[in-house]
Amino acid sequence: MNAAPAKVLVIDDEPPIRKLLRMGLSTQGYEILEASNGKRSLELLAQNPDLVILDLGLPDMDGLELLRIIRARNESVPIVVLSSRGDEAGKVQALDLGADDYVTKPFGMDELLARMRAALRHQLQVHGERPIFHTGELSVDLVRRNVKVGDKEVKLSPKEYDLLRVLVQHAGKVLTHKYLLGELWDDLTDAQYLRVYVRQLRQKIETDPERPQYILTETGIGYRLRSPD
Amino acid sequence: VQAVAAMGRARATESLYTFSRKLAGVGTLDDVLWATAYQTALMLKVRVVLLLPENGSIAVKAGYPPEDILDEADVAAAKWAWQNNRAAGRGSDTLPGAKRLFLPMRTGRGAIGVVGIDSDKPGPLLTPDERRLLDALIDQGALAIERVHLVEDMERVKRTVETERLRTALLTSISHDLRTPLAAVLGAAGTLRDLSSKLTDAEKADLLATVIDESERLNRFIANLLDMTKLESGAIVPNAALHDLGEVVGSALERARKILARHRVDVHLAKDLPMVEIDPVLFEQVLFNLLDNAAKYAPAGTAIRIQSWRSQDSVGLQVLDEGDGIPAADLENIFDKFYRAQKADQVRAGTGLGLAISRGFIEAMQGTIAAANRRDRPGAVFTITLPIPTKIMHLDTAA
Repeated sequence: MNAAPAKVLVIDDEPPIRKLLRMGLSTQGYEILEASNGKRSLELLAQNPDLVILDLGLPDMDGLELLRIIRARNESVPIVVLSSRGDEAGKVQALDLGADDYVTKPFGMDELLARMRAALRHQLQVHGERPIFHTGELSVDLVRRNVKVGDKEVKLSPKEYDLLRVLVQHAGKVLTHKYLLGELWDDLTDAQYLRVYVRQLRQKIETDPERPQYILTETGIGYRLRSPD
Repeated sequence: VQAVAAMGRARATESLYTFSRKLAGVGTLDDVLWATAYQTALMLKVRVVLLLPENGSIAVKAGYPPEDILDEADVAAAKWAWQNNRAAGRGSDTLPGAKRLFLPMRTGRGAIGVVGIDSDKPGPLLTPDERRLLDALIDQGALAIERVHLVEDMERVKRTVETERLRTALLTSISHDLRTPLAAVLGAAGTLRDLSSKLTDAEKADLLATVIDESERLNRFIANLLDMTKLESGAIVPNAALHDLGEVVGSALERARKILARHRVDVHLAKDLPMVEIDPVLFEQVLFNLLDNAAKYAPAGTAIRIQSWRSQDSVGLQVLDEGDGIPAADLENIFDKFYRAQKADQVRAGTGLGLAISRGFIEAMQGTIAAANRRDRPGAVFTITLPIPTKIMHLDTAA
């Protein structure tokens, strides 16, 4: 974190959740702006927060609609959505509308903080990619197009490499099937092709492909590459 | 002439006997009504309508040839016959201007309905012989209708009892499964607040772990209740597509990691597994429920095995544990809602919803799920079978 604390806009109508977020986030040095409804959150958006935490269930406004408005007013601010289990369709919609990530309620503070860090890190990285990515035993050199697990070099097909590159560029962030398909193929919309390549890639880079450590499945949503060390 | 009449009567008796046998094998009210109308029309060469009580009056329920609407005079005669339990209409003392003759259908327990007959032949509608035959036919019909009514009543009572039993089980389950973890959370949090100065750090950490574990348990129970409600209201529409079973197994294991911390998990998936057509969210939930179950019923330190294989036209997947297995008496009912297998020791039983939800989800995905005991050693085994999809994809997978 830089000298100036990052400013986080918390949008949630439940006072106990806001209190929890206030306490949890301030331990990490974040500065917090709080809104309990859509109207107030749009006012606070004028203060240029560095990150937005948005609960999709709000009293005065549809959460997805608010997300659309926030994204229209601020193209780059990372948005992490709070959503409930079983609402995979809502999560995918939120991500497609420009949310950066989501956390399922009830959530653990460590999980939320990890998502926030990934979203903030990704924003900083957009203009300056780190050439070599490391997580666990996996390292990916994006300049030399070289992938290693431990000391062993891994041979990937061009598509497999492209898939890994996109994941590395967004490491720690969830990427929807739709997004990945759009990045890798011009004309494919069927996620089963993606699943086939994910399986092949896992067989090459995971120790135990049945219990992946690097490429994590977000069931019904997409994939997430483990954050860099 | 008498001999001919005698032969006719013998044939009629035989037909009546056949008719009563036929009625005995008929299950639904519509079938009974249709058979009665048809048989009467056939044997007496008349047109027949059958009327049953409905909303305080009577209405046409069947006819041969089919007939839905009666004219006003016939309606009046039919009602009179029903209300007074006597004949009315054509050829009778009451409302003789009606087109049809209406006769009440009776059993020992009272009136069941009304039969109306007419024909195009001139003169009296029925000879005395024919009238006796008609009485015999409608007696048979009335008895059959009554039997169907009784069966329906019994089923209604059974359903009510069943609903009542489920409601009681639901209330018991909810009050127990919601209150137990809540009591633990409140107790632990209250102790932390009120007695903090007297507790060691280890004790505080223990209480906090209780708050988190019990809250997670509560969360799982509420998720189960929601899933069950969705299943019962028909809100579960599988979003099925071709998926890699290994991937769903992996994500279920990841989600169940904390629950499985005290067990060893072995995964054995055949190399030649085709992709299967499933909703990954629902399937992951099923695997999670089975793993949760295994962790609950098999002692800590034992192995839970997941294995999958391909056969001729299906893919099988099993979850095996090393617990005591399922008592034979429970095997039948283990997928019923709120059914909990008996446990000898004090380990807390499940919510009684996980397996019911699992079966509902698997069947919604055109698969089957079955419970059994292991043959090689004590332990339970749950087997899921999924059909192999017809459209298997081929990709250029060269590296």
